Amino acid sequence: MDSIWKSTTRQFLRSKSGFAGLVMMIVILLFTVYSAAEVPQNIAFKWNNPQSWTGNPVGAAPVWVGVIGLHVSPSIPVSLKMWQESNVSAGAARFYEYNSNSSFSWSSSTTPQDVSFLPTFRGNAISATIAWTKPGAKAVDIQVSQVQSGNQYDANSPDFKNAISQYILAQTGQYSSGLTKSQVMSALFDQNGKGLLSGPVDTGDFTVEVQLLSTSPLNFTSNSSFNVIGTSYGPMGTDYYGRPIDLGILAGLPNALELGILTSVVAVVGGVIFGGLAGYFGGRKDGIMQWTTIVFLALPALNFLVVISYSSSLTLLEEGLLISFLSWPFYAIIARTVALSIKSQTYIEADRAMGIPAYRTFFSHFMPRLAPVSIAYTVLGIPAGILLVETLGFLGIQPPNLITWGTILDSAFFNEAALYGWWWWVLFPGLMIVIATIPFVLMGFALDKIIAPRVTNFD
Amino acid sequence: MGYLYFVAKRTVSYFAALIATISIVYIGTYPEIQKVIISSSNFLAGQYQQTLLRTSKGLTAAQIHTLVAGFKSNYLSAFGFNQPLPVKFGLQLYNLMTFHFGTSFFINAPNGSNQVSSVIAAYLPNTILLFTTGTVLLIVLGTIIGLFAAKSAGGILDKIVPFVAVIHSSLPTWWVGFLLIAGLAYGVSLFPTSGMMSIPPPGNPLSYVGSLLDHMTLPLVAFLIVNIGGFTYVIRSLVVSTIGEDFVITAKARGFSESRIIFRHVLRTASPAIATQSILAVTGSFAGGLTTEIVFNWPGVGLLTYESILANDVPIILGITFVLTVVLLVGLYIGDVVYGLLDPRIKSGG
Repeated sequence: MDSIWKSTTRQFLRSKSGFAGLVMMIVILLFTVYSAAEVPQNIAFKWNNPQSWTGNPVGAAPVWVGVIGLHVSPSIPVSLKMWQESNVSAGAARFYEYNSNSSFSWSSSTTPQDVSFLPTFRGNAISATIAWTKPGAKAVDIQVSQVQSGNQYDANSPDFKNAISQYILAQTGQYSSGLTKSQVMSALFDQNGKGLLSGPVDTGDFTVEVQLLSTSPLNFTSNSSFNVIGTSYGPMGTDYYGRPIDLGILAGLPNALELGILTSVVAVVGGVIFGGLAGYFGGRKDGIMQWTTIVFLALPALNFLVVISYSSSLTLLEEGLLISFLSWPFYAIIARTVALSIKSQTYIEADRAMGIPAYRTFFSHFMPRLAPVSIAYTVLGIPAGILLVETLGFLGIQPPNLITWGTILDSAFFNEAALYGWWWWVLFPGLMIVIATIPFVLMGFALDKIIAPRVTNFD
Repeated sequence: MGYLYFVAKRTVSYFAALIATISIVYIGTYPEIQKVIISSSNFLAGQYQQTLLRTSKGLTAAQIHTLVAGFKSNYLSAFGFNQPLPVKFGLQLYNLMTFHFGTSFFINAPNGSNQVSSVIAAYLPNTILLFTTGTVLLIVLGTIIGLFAAKSAGGILDKIVPFVAVIHSSLPTWWVGFLLIAGLAYGVSLFPTSGMMSIPPPGNPLSYVGSLLDHMTLPLVAFLIVNIGGFTYVIRSLVVSTIGEDFVITAKARGFSESRIIFRHVLRTASPAIATQSILAVTGSFAGGLTTEIVFNWPGVGLLTYESILANDVPIILGITFVLTVVLLVGLYIGDVVYGLLDPRIKSGG
């Protein structure tokens, strides 16, 4: 039997699809290791809490889409290092003034979606003033009254809107009340002049000068920031809540493989033993076992799992075992056919004629021939398991505190990603399902091609 | 005689399988079923009380209370409450198999009824329409392409088919649907984005059918993209193995035309297996195509499942699970019977 394994391995490595599948699988496993090491354990809590993603661009395209001709603006984090400028005395009162001066270069012709000013300090400040300078000229001073450390001030905050509407009045001569966020952003980034809200985006070096005013000394342990939030982010963009898609995809990889492999191994081992025994026994026992297979085959897997998940919340292991419980009949049918063809071979008859006990025939002739078949179908069963798990995730049925690609796609569907043109939210998680399953399909097909004729035409 | 005996045997066997499968679903969902029955009884008793209050003015409050309590205990005893467990099991199983699923929590049928069976009855035909059309197309196209691939063994088509079959095992249909909607419906506005009919539905029967076909195209395309590869691959393998048989070589030697060999010899011999595959494809698509309906907003049982998951409408989910079990078993049964019809060995009682 040893030579079967050796020659199968050799043939497998020589087949193009088998080798390609193996290489792809190794790459995916490396990514899984990377994911296990890099993605924090409690990521699912963070993922499902919208608060933890404020400050990220919302519905941002991947950064590289400029290559395919789409116009997006980059996200630029600007770090503000505060230093004490002077102590100002006004009569009896004494003020502390802290300043910072940073600049960034802007080359995109697309207005970013937001800015976010995040001051961090210890103590009580009276106000912050952001002096915004465009490449062309001095633009606007934005005064943030009663500034709080750790608060985010974005383009929607009243302080920004007030300052910007004054600025628009000065530039265009028209007063506009009730500014939208995108108007504020246009005013901040368009070239000065009459066409402030409709004109081209100013490019070059923008300068942000921030001044904090306080009656008591302030402590600075970390840098404050003034982030420009563009319309692109990371290699795969972000979703409606600002969550980076690439992080979700990475977090979903280990559990997809885990569930896929678990369900496949359990279902195939169970199915092959059951079907193999049915074919081996034959006759009345075979009839009853075949009938049992049909009983389980007729369970509508998806709905059954949905109903079960209502009565009890499932863990990852329980979900995997339930899926195997519902998918073993397919493998039982296949294994029974193989066992029947083994049974018709002459060496089985010879065994029987020599009076060798049935259980020994089963272990010496059936199991060694069923084992390679099991391996081929285990490999082929992994994609099926992954697909079912992701489909369940898409329906919202999955163990709690788990990120699956199915749930990412579910929230894309729920938030009408197709309508808003957020194609990256739909494309990448789905593509990942395909990428994670294809190596197993390729290897399974290759193994099946090598093993199937050997088992059925064994001399 | 042989065939009738075969059919009778299969019927008994599948009926027993139906009872066994439904028992498994029943045991797996026992706590939920009890809750659903009690909530249905409460709902119906409330309805009954309203009717009493509105129509019979002569009754006192105590009398109405007694009547309602009696109604409720009648309903519950019809489902075997306050009975020994085996009786309860038998009664509830009987009710399930006769589609008495109780009342839904939130979702109503278009005619206003909140009986789970009528809600499902309103949605099921749409599922059958979509997936039967899809599977018929799949069988026709798959058989034609599979035949051509097998005839030109080693050719380009023969090399492409396995690759498409690989895709079959790794693409979720709902995701393909998603991409098609984003590209062809929202992107270039070639097809409607969702639903089954334009709103309001056109009165003219011809444009009614036109609108239906228009809405069906994208779900069908998604279904075919995902499934055509696998089906074609199976047909190709069946035909290739049949072409190598002695009787085909004999037929060739006798000088029969190619089309006669293909139709009379190869397809005739492979037909039982093709029929089995087709039946499996139809029943499989009912169960597996559920998510496709969700993406395309197609008002079938799949969308109903999704809506009841969102609304926590457990009675509907339970009802759908039982109905799908029956549909699957009926499909498998038909497959078996058709196999017997096509396979001469079984017909002759061999």
